[in-house]
Order: sequence, then C-alpha cells, then structure tokens
Amino acid sequence: MTDDVLLSARGLEVHFPIRSGGVFRRSSGAVRAVDGVDLDIRRGETLGLVGESGCGKSTLGNALLRLVEPTGGTVTFDGIDVTALGRRELRELRRRAGMVFQDPFASLDPRRTVAQTVSEPLEVHGLHGDRRERAARVSELLELVGLDPAVADRYPHEFSGGQRQRVGIARALAGEPDFLVCDEAIASLDVSVQAQVLNLLRRLQRRLGLTLLFISHDLSAVRHVADRIAVMYLGRVVEIGPAAAVGGDPQMPYTQALLSAVPVPHPELERSRKRTVLRGDVPSPAAVPTGCRFRTRCPSAFEPCPDVDPALQPVGQVDGHLAACHLHGVVGTPVAREDDAPEGPTPADAARAPRRAGRAH
Amino acid sequence: MSAPVLEVEDLRVRLRTPRGTAHVVNGLDYTVGPGETVAVVGESGSGKSVSVLALMGLLPSGSATVTGRALLQGEDLLAMSPDRLRRVRGPGMGMVFQDPMTSLNPVLTVGRQLVEGIRAHQRVSKQAARARAVELLAEVGLPDPARAVDRYPHELSGGMRQRVMIAIALSNSPALLVADEATTALDVTVQAQIIDLVERLQSEHGTGVIWITHDLGVVAGIADRVLVMYGGRCVEDGTVDDVLDRPRHPYTRGLLGALPDLAEPLADGSRRDLATIPGVPPPPTDLPPGCVFWPRCPVRGDARCETEQPPLTVVGSGSAALPHRAATWCGEDSR
Repeated sequence: MTDDVLLSARGLEVHFPIRSGGVFRRSSGAVRAVDGVDLDIRRGETLGLVGESGCGKSTLGNALLRLVEPTGGTVTFDGIDVTALGRRELRELRRRAGMVFQDPFASLDPRRTVAQTVSEPLEVHGLHGDRRERAARVSELLELVGLDPAVADRYPHEFSGGQRQRVGIARALAGEPDFLVCDEAIASLDVSVQAQVLNLLRRLQRRLGLTLLFISHDLSAVRHVADRIAVMYLGRVVEIGPAAAVGGDPQMPYTQALLSAVPVPHPELERSRKRTVLRGDVPSPAAVPTGCRFRTRCPSAFEPCPDVDPALQPVGQVDGHLAACHLHGVVGTPVAREDDAPEGPTPADAARAPRRAGRAH
Repeated sequence: MSAPVLEVEDLRVRLRTPRGTAHVVNGLDYTVGPGETVAVVGESGSGKSVSVLALMGLLPSGSATVTGRALLQGEDLLAMSPDRLRRVRGPGMGMVFQDPMTSLNPVLTVGRQLVEGIRAHQRVSKQAARARAVELLAEVGLPDPARAVDRYPHELSGGMRQRVMIAIALSNSPALLVADEATTALDVTVQAQIIDLVERLQSEHGTGVIWITHDLGVVAGIADRVLVMYGGRCVEDGTVDDVLDRPRHPYTRGLLGALPDLAEPLADGSRRDLATIPGVPPPPTDLPPGCVFWPRCPVRGDARCETEQPPLTVVGSGSAALPHRAATWCGEDSR
C-alpha cells in the first residue's frame, strides 16, 4: 500500500508565534494553525479537505508545498523529504506540485497577458526551451482547460471569473505536475460557473492522472469531487474516510453538525431535517482547549474529553474511515495536568524566544 | 390575508455607465406579506442587489434612474423626499448586508452604532438607548451583551458581527427586513445560527423579509416564496415548493442541475458530471432582444425565443393567491 501514497504528512505543525508589541517583541504563545496532522494522499485520488474558516485547511495546503514553513513534523512527497529540501530541489518540487488559488482576480498579474502568465512556469523550470515551443505548449494548455488558444494575447481583465480560473488552472498545469492543491478554487464563482470548473478538474484528473487536494468549505462540492474527505477542526484532522462514508455516515459529532448545517435545495427535506446547531464560535487557535479540541462546542462531550487528546481510530462500517472521538472508545494521549503545564508559552517557544528578541534589537 | 408590507410594481433601474446605459432591473413585480419571507435568487449581475438598493433609495441619484412603484405599508418609497425616506428607513425597513466588516464602522463601538440608529428614530435618552442596545444584543444571541456593547467590530468574529448588523437593522422594529447575501460570507454552522435567529425574530415581530441569495439550499430552508432573477428580469416565481421542486424555466432548471447535492446518494465509482450552463450572463448594457436567457439556453424550444420577450405567465398548479409563474416560451414538456 505504501507505494500508493504520493504525499504524506506526519505530525505536521505550523505554529505562528504571537509577539507582543514594543521594542523587545517577546513571544507570548503561538497560533497553532496546523497542530499535529497525519495525512496520506494516494496517487491519483482527490482528497477533499473541509472545515470552517480558521481551521487551518489553507495553511495545511500551503505547508504541504512549503509555501509556509512547517514548524514541526515531516512531509514526504513521492519518497522525498520535502521539509529537508534546499532551494534548488524545492523548485523542482514546485514544478511537480502546483497550486490553484481561490481568487482568480487576485492571483493573476493584471499586467501580463494570458500567454505570459501561463508560460512563466515553463521559463522558470527551463521547459520547452525556445519561444516557439513554449507558445505551442501554451496553446495546448489553454485548449486543455477549455479556452480558445486565440485568447493568449489578452489580459486578465478581459475575462470572466470562470475563464480566469481556467487560466489559473492552465498555469498550474504548465509544469506537468503530479499533484495539485486547489485552495477554495471555486469559492468565488457563480453556481453555474462552479459546475463548469468542477467538471473540468475532474476531467483533467482522469486524463492526466493527477492527484488533487481539494480544499473547500463547501461540503456539497467536496463530496461531489472527492474520493476521500478529511475534516479539519482547529488545526487537526478529526475525521477522514471515503467520501460516501464521511458524507453519508459521519462518526464524529463535529462532522455530523457540519453536514446537518449544509442547506439542501429541497424544501420539504429542509423543513423536516434535524439540524444540530452548534453553539458559539470556533475557539481561537491560540488557546486550543485541552483534550478533544471540539469538546467546548460538542453536544455529546463527556468525562474523558478534556483529559485525553483523542487519536484517529477506525470507526463506522467502511475500511479506512477514521475519526478522533472518544465516543468510539477512549484512545489517545492523556493531557498533562494543568498544575504541571500552565497555559502560555510552551518550552519550545521559550527556547526560541531569546533568539528572536536578539534579532529585534 | 392582511395588507402586504411591501408591494413592488414594475420596478426598473437604469444606470449610466462608461459603456452605455445599463438596464439592471427591467420590470419587477412582487409583494411581501407580514411574516413572509420572499427569496430573491440569481447569480452575480442578475440585478438582485440593485433592485433592493433602489427600494431603499441607496443608489447614486446622479447616475441611476429608478421608475415604477414600491409601496411600503401603502406609501411609495420611490416618490418620497430624501428626508421622509430617512425617517422611514429605521422603523419601516432594516437592511443587513453581506460583509459585516465593511458595513460596520471600525472606529466606533458596537454600542455607539446601535445607539445612533435608535436615537435617530426614537426620542429616548442616551441611557435608555444604551439599555435598549444591550437588550437587542441579548436578543440576537451575543454572549455577554453588557460587555459586548463596548467592543469594537474587530474584536468580534464574523458571525457575531453579523448578529450586530441584525441587531442594528432590527433596532427600530422595522416592518420589512432586507438581507442581502447576509450569510454568504459565513461558515455553514454560523449560517445556520443566523437563519434560526432571523426566523425566530420574524415570527415574534411579524416582520416581512426579503432574503437575497444565490444559495438555493438556503432558499429551500427559509423562503415562503421565491423569485428567480436573470438579466434584471424575474424569469420565474412561485412558492418555494413549486419553484425548487417543479422548476419551469430552463434557467432555474439549469441552476438546480449545476448544484452538487448533498442529499443525493453517491453512486459507487461513476459520478455524474454536473449539468452546466454554458457561457456567462449577458452584460446589462447589451441585453438580448428576446428571452434574456436565450443565448445560453439549452432548449430554445420556440421560434419566438430569439426575438420576442416572453411575458411572466401562470404555469402549472399554484393557487390564485400564490401563482407559479415563468417567463419562457418553452412549454411543459420541453426539457
């Protein structure tokens, strides 16, 4: 099974230090955006990553490609330890692993033509050496994403949102990547255009054998495109499994609440549906609750939840369906009692702090 | 049925733009009854936001021309003096916009903003207005309202800011509440909280609600009636069950088909492609002469589609009071 995995993360952490103002800029705690994620993405699959805003899903996507530096853990891409790569090797990784961004209005340079935008990765990576070959490749890429190659000399403002997103996809595909991270790639598009882009992504995946990480807050869309779904909450993956299992038979109360909150376009069903309305907002990732991080909003929290940090364990009826929830048996790491580990800077932060203070002088 | 809160007749909005006159809203007719929720659905550029901004008198008077009638409790909003309109806005109608961060003033506390709205329309002391502000924040479910009243918008989460917006909109108990994509920027869990809140307040106060959204799932949950807009026209309206379960206009059908549906079981292995509507909506400066949807329509079932504008006519079932209407030349069986 292991050679089936294209990308894998182990104990991945991205902590952003919180610095107090003033001359010394001391570090006082950290925003734990990604906080111990284990994740395997299989070759050729689409893994959907869902969660509310602030849960760390975009940071995770960025950290997998080292667009933000992980502060802990490892990422392995096709057997290569991404976290140990130097600059030159990182460039090769970026060719093989691309990114499609959310906002096609902000992610394209307004002063570059479509051809310039799409051929830039070819130049950077030294692919298709001469100008004529590159132009041919650009036409090919535009056709691949359903744009007329004749538009190559136009500028982004001449395109609609959906067309711009196609340009963004063409750019991401230029280096013939194995892996694409689509970060909210359809969020800013209208419904009818979303469908066009979703269909395009699926078609491209089948044709080019791509592996996709599809990050979105839209559960209906994710369930539609993904083979497997991972649900994130406060920096952790709390449930993962085949799309039909996670979407149809969720085992973690958070996933259940999230699914029940997604409105469906059937009036009768909407009126009769039992909805779990979660109280309150997501806690700050700078002050993550002890034990299970969902316990402060969980309708079924019980004794072990504050004391044991739940690990992912097999749940439900289907193989490969995992959830981090004590309702399925108390499995995980006991929390250190509060009197031995007061809230605030962790020992690791404290160790790093002097260096930062020194640099700020 | 009691007298409607709002009656809109033949509402038209033209905007002067550098690219010529934009026909943004082209003849809307609808009513909102007390306690009733009318959802206005459509994609960006369909004219749904402009149509309510026009009612509120919030379009730039220099470049916008608004015609038609809009009776709020019998009084025509479009014929009012700016002064009268200002007085009607609080107790007559409240509005909640999409982005609570840009619609709240970042340098004033939540309390100041609420008090300002209350004192603009009611003769009460500052203390009384402040007490009312705390009450309102409690009513919209803000935790610890006595302290929240002294907070600045940036200290609140998106969901809490939207609750503040709703508190402000409701501070003068308006007869009509307009929510323009009020939950679009929020997470689904928070969206569910806000929808619950509006429904509760609506049933308590009998407020009529216009809910503008592009999310047909939200519509299914909250609306009594639905109005589907495209190219500045109403292309279909009726009860929520009629429009979403038995859509008649090819555009409505297209929208529903393009939507990934969480309620639909996943077939193993083979997943269907989503239905798509090719192309993009027409620019309001250059609308097609016939059916507005014709250039993108997969049916085009009638010779008149290209040249003649279809009127909004009664289709299918629906009662006389709540008719199901669609503006299409395509008959029942043209799928």
